[in-house]
Amino acid sequence: MAQQTWENYRQNKHFKPSPLKGIRVLEICTIILGPAGPGFLGAMGAEVIKCELPPKGDTMRQMTPFGYFFRGQSPPMMHSNTDKYWLGLDLHKKEGQQIFRDLATRSDIVEDNFRPGVLERWGVGYRQLKEIKPNIIYIAKTGFGQWGQYAEENRPSNDGAAQALSGYAWMSSFLGQPPLKSRLYVCDTFGALMGEVAVLAALHHRSRTGKGQYIELSQSENIMRAMSWVWPYQQITGTGAMPAGNRDVSICPADTFRCTDDTFLAIAAPAPEEFKGLCTAMGKPELAEDPRFKDHLTRLEEENAAAILKIIATWVRTKKPDEVEELAEQYGFAASRVYSNKDVVEDAHFRERGFIIDIDDPFVGPFTEYEFPVTMSKSTPKVKRSLRAVGFDNEYIMKRILGKSEDEIEELYRCGALGKWADMQGCRPPPEWDGKAGVITAED
Amino acid sequence: MKKAARTSKTKQQSWSDWVRERDDPRIAHTKPDALDDITVLDLSSKSFAGCLCSSLLAEFGAEVLRIEPPRGDFLRTCTPYGILYKGEGLNYLTEGRNKFHITLDLNKPEGREIFKGLVTHADVLIETYRPGTMDDWGIGYEQLKEINPRLIFASITGYGQFGAMSQSRMPDYDNMAQARSGIQSATGEMLPEGKSYDECPWAVPTKAGPWIAWSAAGTFMAVGILAALYWRGITGEGQALDVASAEAYARFDDYAALWYQGAGVVSERFGSLDLAGWLYCFAPTKDGAVFLGGLRLEMWQAFADMLGKWDEWGAASWISISPFTQKEEQLKWAPLMFEETQKYTNEELVSMSIEYGKKGRLAPVTPVVAPVCSPEEAMKDANWLDRGMFTPVQDPVYGELIVAQAQHKMTENPIRTKWVCRPVGYDNEHIYLKYLGWGPSKLKELKQKGII
Repeated sequence: MAQQTWENYRQNKHFKPSPLKGIRVLEICTIILGPAGPGFLGAMGAEVIKCELPPKGDTMRQMTPFGYFFRGQSPPMMHSNTDKYWLGLDLHKKEGQQIFRDLATRSDIVEDNFRPGVLERWGVGYRQLKEIKPNIIYIAKTGFGQWGQYAEENRPSNDGAAQALSGYAWMSSFLGQPPLKSRLYVCDTFGALMGEVAVLAALHHRSRTGKGQYIELSQSENIMRAMSWVWPYQQITGTGAMPAGNRDVSICPADTFRCTDDTFLAIAAPAPEEFKGLCTAMGKPELAEDPRFKDHLTRLEEENAAAILKIIATWVRTKKPDEVEELAEQYGFAASRVYSNKDVVEDAHFRERGFIIDIDDPFVGPFTEYEFPVTMSKSTPKVKRSLRAVGFDNEYIMKRILGKSEDEIEELYRCGALGKWADMQGCRPPPEWDGKAGVITAED
Repeated sequence: MKKAARTSKTKQQSWSDWVRERDDPRIAHTKPDALDDITVLDLSSKSFAGCLCSSLLAEFGAEVLRIEPPRGDFLRTCTPYGILYKGEGLNYLTEGRNKFHITLDLNKPEGREIFKGLVTHADVLIETYRPGTMDDWGIGYEQLKEINPRLIFASITGYGQFGAMSQSRMPDYDNMAQARSGIQSATGEMLPEGKSYDECPWAVPTKAGPWIAWSAAGTFMAVGILAALYWRGITGEGQALDVASAEAYARFDDYAALWYQGAGVVSERFGSLDLAGWLYCFAPTKDGAVFLGGLRLEMWQAFADMLGKWDEWGAASWISISPFTQKEEQLKWAPLMFEETQKYTNEELVSMSIEYGKKGRLAPVTPVVAPVCSPEEAMKDANWLDRGMFTPVQDPVYGELIVAQAQHKMTENPIRTKWVCRPVGYDNEHIYLKYLGWGPSKLKELKQKGII
């Protein structure tokens, strides 16, 4: 039955409508917390207009792993900025502010991640926009929100600061070791995603009532929401929650183990039949009857958990990862080698599902991406194109959306309200670019 | 100059007051719920992702009927160190919020018939069983859409509803998805030179402590459901949605796929430094650690200056930040810097950066310095308390309880936590009467048969 629902999903998804078709989003955001959210909406079919300060644009354009540029573009910049239209707009100029207001009146959603009050000083804050577009949905994403001590001190923030302040990093380390920063910008990306829950709920509210609204989200607060047990635990026990490395203290057994070839493998087998399966696979079915391990709550107790994890670690140390994976499949518990990025990109299953996709983009050329990870049987999300250079779609946006004439556009360039890319890596088109590929003209 | 500064300060003050007056979580209860026209059936089994997903809708006022087998969901036993509070596991306790808890045995044909009755009333169904289970029970998407074509049928699993691995017997747990995402492999301390894993068991691929992969899956699905509701508003049609936990979390990875495709790089652990940015790391201090951020050259220069190293490090001659992001440079500069940061406490470094922003050579430019807090410190931080993150919920069953809430703030239809959780089957009477018109005698009969 499920096969019928999902038959040829990957092959057919471009022949189906997108869920957010007809929604327009105006983005004035940098780095990740800001841009990733409109990126999600873009994958679901919203039309996203991204405004950047010309000529350098988004700071993220210069952030690359060890200085590596993908055909002249920053890989993390590419990831958060698929499916957008690119406007080089200077909001310090009053003409630029007017363009922003004109676009806002034609938009459903505005997203910004400036410090509190900055856009208001430029005359394009929420209070000003709602006067000209009362049902606008406006989300502001910052380190600390719009009010409270830290916001009022105007503190700057980064994802790393949020990982630090929320306790997330502290909880993600080995006991006795210094707190560990995630390789991910997890507070940014999770925050951006959480922000879209709010934005889409606001869209539902707007459909019902006709009303728009203002939403604020903080980099730290959203990740605290994902930290689950630690808060009631601290309240109830009166002690601080402690990190436990790779061991999951709420699920037993669940940990990462070292195999005979010094590679790593995760195992989880908490439910009764799963635990029995694991014990049998280890050749020790009697462990499932051991009073220390007899049920999940007992097994989770510190001493018992340590004991069973040690037994499993000793066993895995003699195995190769694929041996344990096969046994897991056979006995119905969970085991997986720890995947590298190479494993993810090459994984046949991820490919078959269309999660790892190759996109043939006219501007950056062929590239590999992660698809939007919700598959929908009738209205399909899909990443279709990559980023563009700063101000790449200025003419298209000015003509198609605002109906500006050539003369008016020229004037906007002359006064500096509009601009294009700086001649520097990350901002300008790839070296292979032929001057035309990817350009959209309003006349087409 | 001074006067202008003061005016702008007043303006900013009034902006924050204006917002707070409208979106302070303390007044959330005076505003309407965004989703109180939506009914959700949550069948989640052994899945925090499913429970979080329905929580995110319930926070907005959706009527969520949390359906468990008569003995309760296994997730109730997934609790740190086996601790129970008033009979409840702590993770489940945090994601029972605003839901009505009922029981129903779907292994029995009569239970499935009752379930179909509930489906006629529902807008959204969330389930996390192994692919094929719902079909085998006769309540898969293709079957239920005959009863309710507007139904949004949302499945969250380890490997998804289709593709070779979808038929795997392996269950979905957070640590499995983290392992499969490609992210764990590249997070963790580097193995010190000449050392072995036996000597440094902490220098290994390290997963995040919190259930972040499950949270990613649940939150992506909530976004998908809301988009599907929007689309249904236009077309009138429901549909099936599919999220695989490992994919949801892997989507958070910003550049690993492109880096491998473009340069063939298999990403490695880099401790608490950052592959793509400088200044951007955790640094040890006298009493703990701080996060240091300064992605622009001037911020890195300001940091060197703040430590009194402007001349010694030759900060005036630096012309671009990008050379510093190179691996060798990072490994060269990090120890030099850490030697300095260890001379100060967290608090000292934080005030030094604030002071530098006022009076330093490059002021107002100053580096970001944030203490690395334990969750215990975070929960006491007056800023988050003031912003309503940890306001205790007065729960009729569990008493005064702290769960994280108010993760976003809204002027028209803010989220709120009305109650934190409910025991197994707590709302059977209310819900079966409301939806199916069944009074006490019918419920007694169903209970005797073991169906509810």
